[in-house]
Amino acid sequence: MTVPAQTTIGPRPPRRRLPLSVVLGLALAAIIILAALFSAYLAPFDPTRMAVGPRLAAPSAKYPFGTDEFGRDLFSRVLIGGRLSLGIGVSAVAFGLVIGGLAGLMAAFSGRAVEAVMLRLIDILYSFPDTLIALALVAFLGPGIENATLAIAISLVPFYARLTYGLAAAERAKPYIEAARLAGIGTNRLVRVHVMPNIGQSLIVMGTLGFSSAILSAAGLSFLGLGVQPPSPEWGAILASGRNYITKAPWILIFPGAAICLTVLSFNLIGDSLRDFVDPRRKGLR
Amino acid sequence: MMLLIAKRLLIACSTIIAVIILSGLLIHVVPGDPVTAMMAQSVTATPEAMADMRSRLGLDLPVWRQVMLYLWHVLQGDLGTTIRGNEPVSRLLLQRLPNTFALAVAGLATALTIGIPLGFLAAINRGRIADTAVMIIAVLGVSIPAFWLGLVMIQVFSLKLGWLPVAGSGWRNIVLPALTLGLTYCALVARMTRSALVEVLAEDYIRTARARGLREHQVLLVHALRPALISLVTVIGLVFAYLLGGQVIIENVFSWNGIGRLAVQAMLERDYPMIQGFIVLFATSVVVVSMLIDILYTLLDPRMRQR
Repeated sequence: MTVPAQTTIGPRPPRRRLPLSVVLGLALAAIIILAALFSAYLAPFDPTRMAVGPRLAAPSAKYPFGTDEFGRDLFSRVLIGGRLSLGIGVSAVAFGLVIGGLAGLMAAFSGRAVEAVMLRLIDILYSFPDTLIALALVAFLGPGIENATLAIAISLVPFYARLTYGLAAAERAKPYIEAARLAGIGTNRLVRVHVMPNIGQSLIVMGTLGFSSAILSAAGLSFLGLGVQPPSPEWGAILASGRNYITKAPWILIFPGAAICLTVLSFNLIGDSLRDFVDPRRKGLR
Repeated sequence: MMLLIAKRLLIACSTIIAVIILSGLLIHVVPGDPVTAMMAQSVTATPEAMADMRSRLGLDLPVWRQVMLYLWHVLQGDLGTTIRGNEPVSRLLLQRLPNTFALAVAGLATALTIGIPLGFLAAINRGRIADTAVMIIAVLGVSIPAFWLGLVMIQVFSLKLGWLPVAGSGWRNIVLPALTLGLTYCALVARMTRSALVEVLAEDYIRTARARGLREHQVLLVHALRPALISLVTVIGLVFAYLLGGQVIIENVFSWNGIGRLAVQAMLERDYPMIQGFIVLFATSVVVVSMLIDILYTLLDPRMRQR
């Protein structure tokens, strides 16, 4: 058996193990994603069919989460609602990440004037809470699942633009970029071939953080009646329509709420801990 | 110093103007015809009424003139009139402003009172159980939707225990919404306090203070906490903006008669002038607060003062 040669003198750098919170977050996220993917098979009832059981029935073997004010099965509704919420989250993050990423890269690699103007604009938008940007946009676009998704996606753009800009600007200062430039590589190719692979990993990690805020925005919009419309079982919409019955039937409050909390929590756990791995500025703060 | 303030003021003004222009343009985001969308729920949607509405909103003008006209009116304090009821938007907003302001201040105060000690506790026990516990609370805090927490609070404190009223606007009514906002945003404050303090504790002057033989509580409370709080001032603007955003939903949960409730009502009724007015007012307050905080920071931090 050969002993691996130690290349550096002194103690070996500690192995980078995934923190417990990431493992926990990943496990939770995996369960939630699987449940959402297979919700159509797992749901015992049609989530929008009324009177599959008695009204406001307490959780039981037949109705694990109880029933709502129309006698709909809450378990099926929360399951299918997960598919809706995750779908909105994924689409919004994908759109926000692409547009915001392009804007950030453009700000970092298009010369001083463009940089100054774009940064100013991004900073202005970033100073407004994303939920509020989504709310304002949906007010004009009109309610509905597509418009809500679009509004949430746009509300994430400043976040991703700022993030990408920060990463790209840090990358820009590195010697290899200068070397590539001296080798005569154009900006487009430089960004695509050299910068993107270096910052892509960080962007994906940050994607998880945007995802949890997208889920929160979607629930908030639907709760106010501006997002997914009833009878579609989005989690915020379930809470909104059932809120007058929560005294008699607290399960209408508990299960959809817990679904939102656990989903957001799992992605926050993943994103928060991984952020320390990818964001060099934060390392000393741990 | 004065130059810095002047520059900050200029930035704030240009930001506000940009926001007004953006808000004026928002009506063109409406898919199809905004007048049709607005009057869809109205019984008086005759062609004449619709043409009348169009000219009232200036929608028959070229876009750039509409925006300039909107900017001109807003700068004079005229935010237009509501579609329903034909009342001046600015008056309706101003009527609700004190309520919203009161709740925002109460919520922010609660968030700071809970968040700063928690962050402090975490920072001085870095890596130990207390730190982990606070960070767990912090991640839970940002994961629980404020409106759901509000519903739970109503269920527990109003309906089950009967301690506080469910809704309304009086001093007993402010407790639950303020507590909900405070609990939601204290996580953010705790996190920021922690990282500010951790950064300060790594400074040389802290080591010097310890080397001089000062007691630990003197080091922490006198030498470390003060600069940490000063750097915390800068992020309070951000917390405030987020708190105001969350408040829009919370006001609806608790039927608090503030601007957020007015705005959501307008959004459901598609009362566009009202929504635009809300956006302008909200943006202006965020910009003004963040400007004041920047200026306050330059005044508080001795290192900035010398510039």
